[in-house]
Amino acid sequence: MYKSFKLIVCQTVILLISLFFSKAFSEDLRIKINSGQVEPLPIAIANFTGEEGRSSKIGMQISTVVSNNLVGSGQFKAIESAAFIAPPTSPSVRPNFTDWSPLGIKALITGSVKKINDKQIEVEFRLWDVIAETDLIGLRLSVNSKAWRRVAHIISDEIFERLSGDSGYFDTRIVYVAESGPQNKRIKRLAIMDQDGENHQFLTDGSFLVLTPRFSPTSQEITYLAYFKNEPRVYIFNLETGQQELLGSFPGMTFAPRFSPAGDKIIMSLAEKGVTDIYTMDLNNQVVDRLTNSPSIDTSPSFSPDGKKIIFNSDRGGTQQLYIMDSDGRNVKRISFGKGRYATPVWAPKGELIAFTKMLKNTFYIGVMSPDGSGERLLAQGYLVEGPTWAPNGRVLMYFKQKAPIDDGKSTNVNLFKIDITGFRETRIVTPSDGSDPAWSPLLPN
Amino acid sequence: MIRSTFISFGLHSFLLTLAYYGLPAMKTKEPIELPIDIVEETPITSKTSLKLGETDKRKIKKINKKIVKQEKIKKNPPPPPIPSKKVIEKKNLALKKEKEIREIASLIKKKPKIETKKKNKSKPPKIIKKPEKLKNKQKESFARGILKTLTKPEAIKENIKKNKKSSNKDVLKKIKTLVGNSRRQVQQTEIKLSQTDINRIQMHVTKYFNLSYAATEVKIIIPLKISANTDGTIKSARILDKYSYEKDKFYRAAADAARRAVLDSSPLPLPKGKEKKFQNFIFDFNTSFINNY
Repeated sequence: MYKSFKLIVCQTVILLISLFFSKAFSEDLRIKINSGQVEPLPIAIANFTGEEGRSSKIGMQISTVVSNNLVGSGQFKAIESAAFIAPPTSPSVRPNFTDWSPLGIKALITGSVKKINDKQIEVEFRLWDVIAETDLIGLRLSVNSKAWRRVAHIISDEIFERLSGDSGYFDTRIVYVAESGPQNKRIKRLAIMDQDGENHQFLTDGSFLVLTPRFSPTSQEITYLAYFKNEPRVYIFNLETGQQELLGSFPGMTFAPRFSPAGDKIIMSLAEKGVTDIYTMDLNNQVVDRLTNSPSIDTSPSFSPDGKKIIFNSDRGGTQQLYIMDSDGRNVKRISFGKGRYATPVWAPKGELIAFTKMLKNTFYIGVMSPDGSGERLLAQGYLVEGPTWAPNGRVLMYFKQKAPIDDGKSTNVNLFKIDITGFRETRIVTPSDGSDPAWSPLLPN
Repeated sequence: MIRSTFISFGLHSFLLTLAYYGLPAMKTKEPIELPIDIVEETPITSKTSLKLGETDKRKIKKINKKIVKQEKIKKNPPPPPIPSKKVIEKKNLALKKEKEIREIASLIKKKPKIETKKKNKSKPPKIIKKPEKLKNKQKESFARGILKTLTKPEAIKENIKKNKKSSNKDVLKKIKTLVGNSRRQVQQTEIKLSQTDINRIQMHVTKYFNLSYAATEVKIIIPLKISANTDGTIKSARILDKYSYEKDKFYRAAADAARRAVLDSSPLPLPKGKEKKFQNFIFDFNTSFINNY
């Protein structure tokens, strides 16, 4: 009797509480905002102040690099510093937001550079929301004064991530094939640079031809193909130590070696007896496995980010199209059905897109599509555009573009370009010489 | 079983009687509400010009006959100076008949279905001309009468108060009957927003909601609690899902963008007369539109 009474009382109390809360929450008017704008966000990057709040050369350089990075991403629009009402302030000082909001600025970046000793500097920055009048993020770094450019990239990544919600890609490097000399005696060297084209270095001397360099997703290593005495060889180049390792010498033709997502395998295509198939090579024991076995040409393999699928192109259907298979070579399925030929597929770091090269009516295109083949979008086009590579956040693509020969066909004009996946902003990467076959590194370890 | 039933019945009946006599609300009956019908008071004379209806034909005929007789009496020359007893009796009868006619006429004038209550209006005391020669006894009795009537004004006051109260109540009741229940009245005055009102605000805020496109497909709803002034300016915009704001970096960036949009869009184009509805409300920002870019 007492228990049942207790139960009834409890139930009544719960009912009353639920009624109260349901009423409390249901009373508010709710308005849905289902659309918006996707436009560059207006930001102001004030010059980083130096000692005693005065402007310094290094501070100006850092703010310039940050501005170039953010604007180059296509996500931000930097307001000219000449339009600023207020002078740059230290990041520890709360800015007067009324000086910035009339300019239409939504976010403000302030920073400072302090000299610790002859070699070390301390860089500090703060990101402010001008509309909400709050600080969003702040960071202080102590680095070698020569590494100020890298500090600027790290700051750019932090700002990008805080405002877009996605990880940045500025503190990364590009490895590519630097080309020079006439068409019939072309010198191809391996070169590396920051993603914005700075800090350029040659990795090989040009004594042998190099092709298709690819970054390891887990370490600062590069795999590439080199023709040594007309024999194709696959090498691994360690960027930290500067040492090279020969993986193997493969008879016939070898194409496009690429790392697996775990970095423990190399996937590539080998031509034997007129048939090209896809193989994997275990880097630990150097055991080679054959994945495809067809009388057609199967090439340009690329692993999915989870390592379970492989995308490649094949002419087994009559024309060059894109196919997907399991990592063990089973369940081969065609995904591209558009007009023209498809080549060099690369799986995006987050797995939602596949970038490819398309050839249609004497024009080359760079495009993206979903792994099921739907939603094909062409982003760039030209006389010859090829070899897409993804930025580590999957928002930007880099590729090389060659212009049509002008006079006798001897001169070539090959350059590197990057474009965001919306296709709105294409930017040329300035290199000392012609450049092709770029590969984007993962974010550098701090 | 039977015993317990009897005990239960007894206890219940005891409780009921106790409640009936103990609780005043149960015993007292609510007064019957009668609708007020204002009737004009018209002076009644011995002659009536009312057109009589067909329903009370018998009465009317009688009355007509009486009136005719009365007229005849009036038309006749006055009786001889020393009237006889019969004449006096006739006069008395005629007076009685006149009274009856007045009463009937008043009845005819009033609506038969509605029961009217004569209001005890506080009339000014009538000035009675005192005869010059009054005996002391008469004076005393008159004085007593006055003294007796002295108590009456209090009663009149009370009556006035009662009447006022009752009239106020009646007025209220009449308003209630005309307008309806008070709750219903509140419901009728509740602010209702039209789709146009909402669309106007949506369009306004959409212009300021600038989101960075994402590499992956996203579909997030970001609720923001908004507090606005009556002129549409935003008092505060609070992100409700603090957990997602702390844990999910895309949510955090999108929520900041949504908050900027709200603050930037201040003042909101609130519909006139409905500003109170926007004192506290929620904006649900949906980020799925960026998948189309």
